[in-house]
Amino acid sequence: MSQTIRSYRPHYILLTILLALIFMAELVFGSVSIPISQLIHALLHPQDADFAAKILWSFRLPRATTALLAGAALSVCGVQMQTLFRNPLADPYVLGISSGAGLGVAFFVMGFSAGVFSAGISWIMNLGIAAAAWAGALTVSFVVTAAAKRLSSTMSLLILGIMIGSVGHALITMLQYVSSASALKMYVLWTLGSFNGVTGASLIIMATLIVAGILLSVYNIKDLNILLMGEVYAKSLGIQMNSIRRRIFISTALLAGSVTAFCGPIGFIGIAVPHLARMIFKNANHKILIPACALLGATMMLLADFASQLPGTQQVLPINTVAELLGIPVIILIIIQNRSHE
Amino acid sequence: MSDMTPIMELQQLSIGYAGGKKEPLFSNISAQISKGMLIALFGRNGIGKSTLLRTMARLQPPTGGTAILLGRELPKWTPAQVARQIAFVPSHPIRTPRLSVADMVGAGRYGFTNWMGAQQQSDREAIARALEATSLTPLAHRDSSTLSDGELQRASIARSLAQETPLIFLDEPTAFLDLGNKYKTVYLLKELTQTAQKGILFTTHDLTLALQVCDTIWHMADDGFHALSPAQFIQSQCHPEWHIVPRGASGAH
Repeated sequence: MSQTIRSYRPHYILLTILLALIFMAELVFGSVSIPISQLIHALLHPQDADFAAKILWSFRLPRATTALLAGAALSVCGVQMQTLFRNPLADPYVLGISSGAGLGVAFFVMGFSAGVFSAGISWIMNLGIAAAAWAGALTVSFVVTAAAKRLSSTMSLLILGIMIGSVGHALITMLQYVSSASALKMYVLWTLGSFNGVTGASLIIMATLIVAGILLSVYNIKDLNILLMGEVYAKSLGIQMNSIRRRIFISTALLAGSVTAFCGPIGFIGIAVPHLARMIFKNANHKILIPACALLGATMMLLADFASQLPGTQQVLPINTVAELLGIPVIILIIIQNRSHE
Repeated sequence: MSDMTPIMELQQLSIGYAGGKKEPLFSNISAQISKGMLIALFGRNGIGKSTLLRTMARLQPPTGGTAILLGRELPKWTPAQVARQIAFVPSHPIRTPRLSVADMVGAGRYGFTNWMGAQQQSDREAIARALEATSLTPLAHRDSSTLSDGELQRASIARSLAQETPLIFLDEPTAFLDLGNKYKTVYLLKELTQTAQKGILFTTHDLTLALQVCDTIWHMADDGFHALSPAQFIQSQCHPEWHIVPRGASGAH
């Protein structure tokens, strides 16, 4: 097995170089280009009050770091969901986490925040949205984890997740129907996703939760590999299905929950990247796939974010639309490739 | 020659589904399995063959009676401890695209590796032995989903061998195989009972094959459970009033 990982070293090195290049491009290009020399100076002297240092440390570096973390988190989460549910269309939100988060945000934005919103206190608004999204995502995760103890079939859990998602959507629609135009706009903007505004303490909290989620997914590798061969076989090896499900759900809550809370429900990367990783690495072993998904997910998300900023213009596209435009061709490619294999 | 000390003993065992019907699916099963024995579990569809196999592998609880594994009642073993004694091969092996045969067989080392599943020299040797025993060494690096049905079944058996347990239970290992592969699979199992001294129990509907190769037939019949030698089984299927009458002496004149 260790030989297998060694044999993929060139893939990992190439991906890391690609990731570093796109990360640098994120820092250099934008509505204003910063020359490399100025960028390096600004990186080494964060306290400088010049224009480049301010743009870099206040906007571009946090934004690129957020995109990198979100991409890695959603992809690692997606691969775990696809293995657990044995479903190639499972994504980080299959358990209803995005609906839970969406409902939390909808309640906050359209329900309780009218006063704060009208007062224009944006940092309270941002913090409130993240907290509300977290509360919603955690509630859903808690319900699903509790149900997992009673439901022996993983397929029933998948259905439960979809049902919870539908209930969430129904409630959100009701709230949208009765809310004000300004609150509705704020909610819609949240659903489009954004890596802006995750700075300082928010970024540290998000990074900590994502690192914890990824470490837990690394701990899950051994059991995930067995789940590829079916639940009955896994049980025959002494694996407690409830325990592995719980660990995967906690990892999902940490990863998808954090991204949704701080950046909004970012779609498609979580489904597409695991498939892309399997296609590039030609291996379903999670020891290869989890680091591959983390690297590839971070790269794809940075690429999507880079494209969304339309470098050289003053316009910025919503990240979700760009992620979809990047993610859907990958899924179509996979379907075509799988068909040609049959 | 098999060591007749039983590894597993069933005493008045009843099987059924937890939380389901109160009536057990099948009752009063008494039998034993020793090293070097090849046993075919035979019976009509739905009589409870797979349920018995799963109950014996501690994948579901019995509804009555006892199963004793190496002198200790089965429920007193943890699932992980059972996995050190019994390897289970489910029916219909799952094809996982892009999983190599070596990685598939390596899953059998689950109980031996650390939390990361890192394989040591002893694990690699066990996998190599399992691949060798099932003639899969040349296919070790092949994508397991591209194997033929017969090869995939052999890979599942190799995976159970890598688990290095004294007992192997297989659920319908010959289902969906062509005649040639049915024979290959069952003769491979026979060889493993002789060379590796495994105790092997498998469910099957291929009675002719089982009667030719197995040491014992466990027959789950409508009138109860019978553990019989192939000769006894054939005898049991003959009606007491049947007689072999020479041709031409049928009393037609």
